[in-house]
Amino acid sequence: MKILDIALKDLLRSFRSMFALVFMFGIPLLMTGMFYVMFGNIASGGDFNLPKTKVIIANLDEGGPKFQTSAKNIPGGKQARTMGELVVNVLQSKEMADLIQVSLAPSAESAHAAVDGQAAQVAIAIPTDFSKKFADPDKQAVIEFYQDPTLTIGPSIIRSILNRFMDGMAGVKIAINVFMDEAPESDYVLTGDVIQRYLDISLVQTEDLAGTLLDERAPTTASNSQTSGSQASGSQTSQNMLLRIVGPIMGGMMIFYAFFTGSSTAQSILKEEEEHTLPRLFTTPTPQAVILTGKLVAVFLTVLVQVVTLIIAARLIFGIQWGAPVPVAMAAAGTVFIASSFGIFINSLLKSTKQSGTVFGGVLAMTGMLGMVSIFDINSPTAARLGNTVSLLVPQGWAIRGLLQAMNGAPVVDVVLTALAMLVLSAAFFVIGVWRFNKRYA
Amino acid sequence: MNTNHIAIQVTNLHRAFGEIKAVQGVSFDVQSGEIFGLLGPNGAGKTTTISMLATLLRPDEGDAFVMGHSIRRDPMAVKSVLGMVPQEIALYEDLSARENLTFWGKMYGLRGAGLRQRVNEVLELIGLSDRANGRVGTFSGGMKRRVNIGVALLHKPEVIYMDEPTAGIDPQSRRNILDSVVTLKNQGMTVLYTTHYMEEAQELCNHIAIMDHGRVMACGTHEELVRLVGEQTRIDLTLNVEAGRVLEAWRAVEGVSRVSTENGQITVLVEDSNAVLPRLFEAATRLSTRITSVDIREPNLEAVFLHLTGRALRD
Repeated sequence: MKILDIALKDLLRSFRSMFALVFMFGIPLLMTGMFYVMFGNIASGGDFNLPKTKVIIANLDEGGPKFQTSAKNIPGGKQARTMGELVVNVLQSKEMADLIQVSLAPSAESAHAAVDGQAAQVAIAIPTDFSKKFADPDKQAVIEFYQDPTLTIGPSIIRSILNRFMDGMAGVKIAINVFMDEAPESDYVLTGDVIQRYLDISLVQTEDLAGTLLDERAPTTASNSQTSGSQASGSQTSQNMLLRIVGPIMGGMMIFYAFFTGSSTAQSILKEEEEHTLPRLFTTPTPQAVILTGKLVAVFLTVLVQVVTLIIAARLIFGIQWGAPVPVAMAAAGTVFIASSFGIFINSLLKSTKQSGTVFGGVLAMTGMLGMVSIFDINSPTAARLGNTVSLLVPQGWAIRGLLQAMNGAPVVDVVLTALAMLVLSAAFFVIGVWRFNKRYA
Repeated sequence: MNTNHIAIQVTNLHRAFGEIKAVQGVSFDVQSGEIFGLLGPNGAGKTTTISMLATLLRPDEGDAFVMGHSIRRDPMAVKSVLGMVPQEIALYEDLSARENLTFWGKMYGLRGAGLRQRVNEVLELIGLSDRANGRVGTFSGGMKRRVNIGVALLHKPEVIYMDEPTAGIDPQSRRNILDSVVTLKNQGMTVLYTTHYMEEAQELCNHIAIMDHGRVMACGTHEELVRLVGEQTRIDLTLNVEAGRVLEAWRAVEGVSRVSTENGQITVLVEDSNAVLPRLFEAATRLSTRITSVDIREPNLEAVFLHLTGRALRD
């Protein structure tokens, strides 16, 4: 009973502090709101309208071996006689029209000049030997990408589209090379069929190209990604895209500040020592274990209230889809445990609250940012893999992993494993922290 | 309450912090229902002693019994019979006076209607019923001190430790606290009171232990301590005429041990000022001399401390 009395007293004190409330709830929601407004128009009902990126293409490709695709599945319904034309057709397709405004330039220099003169934001130069190199098993076909260095989002999307296209084409090239090794030269015309087969099963079959591309960096639940491609209206698609961007950001903010809450609430042990209330508690007929347990329960409860409130508030305010209830509950519970126990551990290392500014500002900010790397490394698969690995070096990374898995609709077993990893880490932090505090007040 | 019963028995307590010996062989007994003072300058070992008696610190050597419970073997029993008023304000400033008292009451095991009633009683006792719902952080230093004391009274303890409860507060609040200590004593509580204010020990305490450098230098009633060092009452007088023959007459008065004069002021040392003072007036009247001022200075603990340690209490 006394454990609960102590915990409730600490909760009351925490929630009476305007500073604590702002940090716990205000800033995470505010930051997410800023991203929400930045990426969409919250006031007008949620339509998400990225400005079109102006792309100027200098297609200098002179063609290569016999190459022809039918119009059936080619973006824009056009035939392509060269690989360069295929790239242009993909970027000029109606599916890309909401994102890209394409114009053509006669030369790479004029395309560069258009970017330099701010007439376009991205210049793409397809070299004369693009198709030849594509057909040559020993050479690599390269597209030149030139962008306004002051812009990020628009050019990133274009780069992502091209990366995906080129990755797919690289797979086709491997298939062609295998075919060429086996077939006589006269059959080269069949390479077009190979490409078409690839197109049949790849991104050009997907009406919502942009949504598909965004799926790669801001995944949502499996059911959402299934439907968005085939059924969603334009504004629904835009709204889904917005939520796919804002959802992980909100999750990251929530976890970042949950760790701050865990640490600042656990700091009350040191604070009570300095306010002389802890020694006074030790003069009451209350065992030391009960007093410390009450303080620790307060930390867990405070972080729990924060996480649950933010999850609900973000759902209501921004419409964020956190995922199925069970995985979300597991990820949230893991977050609560790991943020609380990490706070207890950090504070057990401190001698006084005077050190907390440095530690909270340094350690928590640094580990928090490392943990969130996995949210923001959106373009390159290699960077994403590296980011995921780096983020797991810090406890925040595990919490974000769990939350993203829940949002992604990952198999429950994956979320369970992540939650278990968080529990193991929590237990380690908790045991060390409690041991140090017990030793300190023995 | 039986006043002959020993409430606190302290035997040969020792406590060191590294190389510093904070308490060295402290022993004393506190009778039930009395106010016992630990008097000494800062760093004398008073707080360390009281912390050991409150089971906050474990003695390196020795033991103490509070209402028969050993601080070494049965600390929880000791905690349940004592109320502690720490030197510092130990309250939650962001909670109200009522919330503070309610929380601390729970820590002493009070619950429900009994707790609510006791909180109201204590608020009344410390004179803060009208500010019960005000946050402690908004209170004056004196009001905080009163709540600080109120917390220790919640569970009606048999013994109260008060560690310098008047440190750093205004005279009016100090007066209130001293009065409340006397009230507690009158209600039968045993009070262990530490202070470095000689006047407080002199006014409040039935017995006083003078501490310095972690040792008890002397222990007894105020009178016993004064007698211990042979201090006499000093009476400073001024006359309406030159002292002259009056000095000779006063030297002959029974009970006067010394008469001296300096800058027109006569100083007379006596054993008992109540008995001697009328005789001094009578002698002056016989010589047609009028006494224009009298200042009686009773022997005090300051002088005792000076005598015992060779330095002033406030050094």
